[in-house]
Amino acid sequence: MKRTYLGEFEEIVLLLVAGMDGEAYGVGITHKLNEETDRSVRLNQVHAALHRLQEKGMVASRMGDPTPERGGRRKLLFTVTAYGYRTLQDIKAMRAQLWNEVPPTPKLAINL
Amino acid sequence: MTPRPPKLADRLLAWFVAPHRLETLQGDLHEEFVYQVERVGEQRARWRYWRDVLGFVRPYVIKRKPSEYITPSLVSPVMLQNYVKIAWRSLQHNRLLSLINIFGLSLGMTCSLLIGLWVNDELSFNKGYKDAERIYFVRLTDGINTGEIMPGSLAEALKKDVPQVDKATKFTVWSNDFLLKAGQRFSKKEGNYVTEDFFDIFQYPVLQGNPRVAIQSPNAIVITRSIAETLFGTTEAVGKTLQLNNDKYYRVGAVIENIPHNSSIQFNWLVNFKVAEEDWMKGWQSRSFLNYIKLKPNTTHAQAEASMRTLVKRYLPDTKEVPVLQPIADTYLYGNYENGKAVGGRISYVKSFSLIALLILLIACVNFMNLATARSSLRAKEIGVRKVVGAGRLSLVGQFIGESTLLSLLSASAAIGLTLCLLPTINELVGKPLALDFSSPTLWLYVITLVVGTSLVAGSYPALFLSAMQPVRVLKGAFTNVASGAAFRKSLVVFQFSLSLFLIVGMLIIGRQMDYVRTKQLGLDRQNLIYIPVEGELLPKMETFRQELQRSNTISSVTSTGELPIHIGSTNVLNWAGKDPNLNASVNTMKVGLDFAKTLGIKFIAGHDFSPSDTNSYIVNESAVKMMNLKNPLGMEIMFSRGKGRIIGIMNDFHISSLHEPIRPLVLTYYPKWTNDFLIKTAPGKTAEALQVVEQTAHRLNPSYPFTYHFLDEAYEKLYRSETLVNTLTNYFGLLAILISCLGLFGLAAFTAEQRTKEIGIRKVLGASVPNVIALLSKDFLKLVLIAIVIATPLAWYAMSQWLQNFTYRINIEWWMFAVAGLLAVGIALMTVSSQAIKAALMNPVKSLRSE
Repeated sequence: MKRTYLGEFEEIVLLLVAGMDGEAYGVGITHKLNEETDRSVRLNQVHAALHRLQEKGMVASRMGDPTPERGGRRKLLFTVTAYGYRTLQDIKAMRAQLWNEVPPTPKLAINL
Repeated sequence: MTPRPPKLADRLLAWFVAPHRLETLQGDLHEEFVYQVERVGEQRARWRYWRDVLGFVRPYVIKRKPSEYITPSLVSPVMLQNYVKIAWRSLQHNRLLSLINIFGLSLGMTCSLLIGLWVNDELSFNKGYKDAERIYFVRLTDGINTGEIMPGSLAEALKKDVPQVDKATKFTVWSNDFLLKAGQRFSKKEGNYVTEDFFDIFQYPVLQGNPRVAIQSPNAIVITRSIAETLFGTTEAVGKTLQLNNDKYYRVGAVIENIPHNSSIQFNWLVNFKVAEEDWMKGWQSRSFLNYIKLKPNTTHAQAEASMRTLVKRYLPDTKEVPVLQPIADTYLYGNYENGKAVGGRISYVKSFSLIALLILLIACVNFMNLATARSSLRAKEIGVRKVVGAGRLSLVGQFIGESTLLSLLSASAAIGLTLCLLPTINELVGKPLALDFSSPTLWLYVITLVVGTSLVAGSYPALFLSAMQPVRVLKGAFTNVASGAAFRKSLVVFQFSLSLFLIVGMLIIGRQMDYVRTKQLGLDRQNLIYIPVEGELLPKMETFRQELQRSNTISSVTSTGELPIHIGSTNVLNWAGKDPNLNASVNTMKVGLDFAKTLGIKFIAGHDFSPSDTNSYIVNESAVKMMNLKNPLGMEIMFSRGKGRIIGIMNDFHISSLHEPIRPLVLTYYPKWTNDFLIKTAPGKTAEALQVVEQTAHRLNPSYPFTYHFLDEAYEKLYRSETLVNTLTNYFGLLAILISCLGLFGLAAFTAEQRTKEIGIRKVLGASVPNVIALLSKDFLKLVLIAIVIATPLAWYAMSQWLQNFTYRINIEWWMFAVAGLLAVGIALMTVSSQAIKAALMNPVKSLRSE
């Protein structure tokens, strides 16, 4: 089966959505991503990734509750879909399978 | 206070983000902002906020969410089809009103089209020259009077003494109607003698040869296409010879395209000026020339005028005159000068006619608006239903504008047809070759503007008025003609009739002024006078010709003159002993032959007419005596064009120019050799026989020239060509305006009568008589016409007194003119309305009340 292509950044965002278990939203994901991966991504990049994931049907969105620091505005909360979850699992399985073939001590290219 | 994100950025965000995304997105941004304020401080957080906002400028953010419902488009094909169908049905349903509408609109549009063509042509005058912005017409002004006829040496002086002037040319104010002959073929056409620079200033399309070179030679002639084709049958005529005026032979030096009609400078042939130059044409005293100059590139006419200020004074020490320059493009439309400044001219006619065309179109639009609002009660139900089923206001406005567009398209096609039919007549009237050029984008632009403008104006009121109705009230039947609609209709009728009245008063006053002009005693008798040119053999045989003609009993007297006595333009400076040195003594002058006073019926106050020996005697008019301020000038010695001489006669004043001008001082000289026209007074009632005698005699004495003649009366009428045009056009416009207004009134009356059928039925049953009912129906309309009279009278009085200011000799505006116009309007309105009123009043009440 030809799976929908998932970019590396999208994969990470999707993983984070899955990890936050229904409470994922733009700012939350951005902060978590910056903390855990030591990257410096911007809000609009995350939003764009979420938009693409939603287009591909891997996440679904719903309206959350308003909070005071948002000026009383509601959050757009993202949850991973079954399709998205399976995609993540497929990727993980494929990686694991590829890891199996890697010898415990592979020859490394060393500049002598 | 908690820090707030930058307002402007928020506003920008709210503007570009799709509404359904805005809340969550802005929430995220604000949350991020609060977080960043803690992390990096407010100032940097604000910068980040800006960067983040700008980072969201992405298509997926901007793109609006499609609505859940189908948005009905204003132009969906089904609805369009429906609009056209309904429009067509309502046209058919009310055949009479539709016809009135279309007829009125197409008359109005025809009028606008014709006037548009005329205005376009007027505006195109003198515009086509290459380097037109450098070509100027020269006038001389003393600050009060401004003349366009220049002394002979001015052109040379301008070129020599004024550094800004590149080229200068002059030619005589009259042109020469000469015979051109090549072999057996001949043509009699007007042409002139011009100085060498002429073709450097005016560039015409050349067919063959080089006119700039040709005009330098005294033996070459430059001719136009029409002459080349008549004489040689081809435009390749360079090098061929032709004989001018049965005298000198010229080689054709160049052939140029025919001069377009929209040029002030008209000629068919040109020859080097030196060939015809005479001593009296030189110097600064005698004025007979029109001067045109071309400035050097990159000089302004203000600079040139500044350098010219002292020019005339250098040669004419007594004068205060300075040259003024006018761009050639303005000469036709802005030819009037007052106190040395251009104050308009023909442009005022162009403007007035454009305005009148617009107003007439407006009257036609008013008809449409009136009838549409009057019928609105009939269509109210339709509007109500449309609104209930979901028509927005915009789509209703669209529908009504669409209906008026349909109507104005129909009218425009009718108008184009009508224009095509009328053009030949109109062209004869205005003396122009106007044509509808369907290949020109200007025409189409004009027509489209006309259609769009008309449909917007005509459709706007019904569209806004009808679309504003409340469906609930309409469908409950509570809709009766809203009072404001009625008031609006009334004011429109008042407007129409004010305009019509205005035009009727104009018709009356202009007509009477023209009558006055035509019948005014000029101080000379212009009846039964024909004039023929002094040409060919007639010049040396002048006296023989005169004697032979006078022998016939059909001819009472013959003389010859330099110009036509009804329009004397040449001037010269008069000097006498005891003259006030500050006096500008430039007086009009004319060269005459024997029997001048007798032929023209001019009375002498003292002295007598010239006799053959009076070569340096002068005859002056009353005005000249007044100017010289002398008790007994008869026999006095004066200095004038022919040197020192005595005044041998004093004439009664006669009009030497059109009635626009006051009578100016005039000095006559006896100089038959330089006269241009024979004036022949025929015995009363014997014009036909006299013409035969003149023709035979002319043929015998001057066999090589074809015989031509004109009536002085016609030449006099020509002086008032533009006024005659105004007269005729106001007559047509006045009639048209009245006609269209009456169409509207008729429609409105028919409609009210129909609406009130039941009321009239009940009134009749209760005992109202027929006159009662007629009065009831007519009264309302008459009131409106009376208001219109009150409005139009002062306006018309003002406009007409302004127009009459153009004439030094004019009629007075009298109250009865307004009374006549008012009575006429009332009468016409009454006739229009009462025909409908009578029809309604005579109707059998049983019939109108039977069905309910």
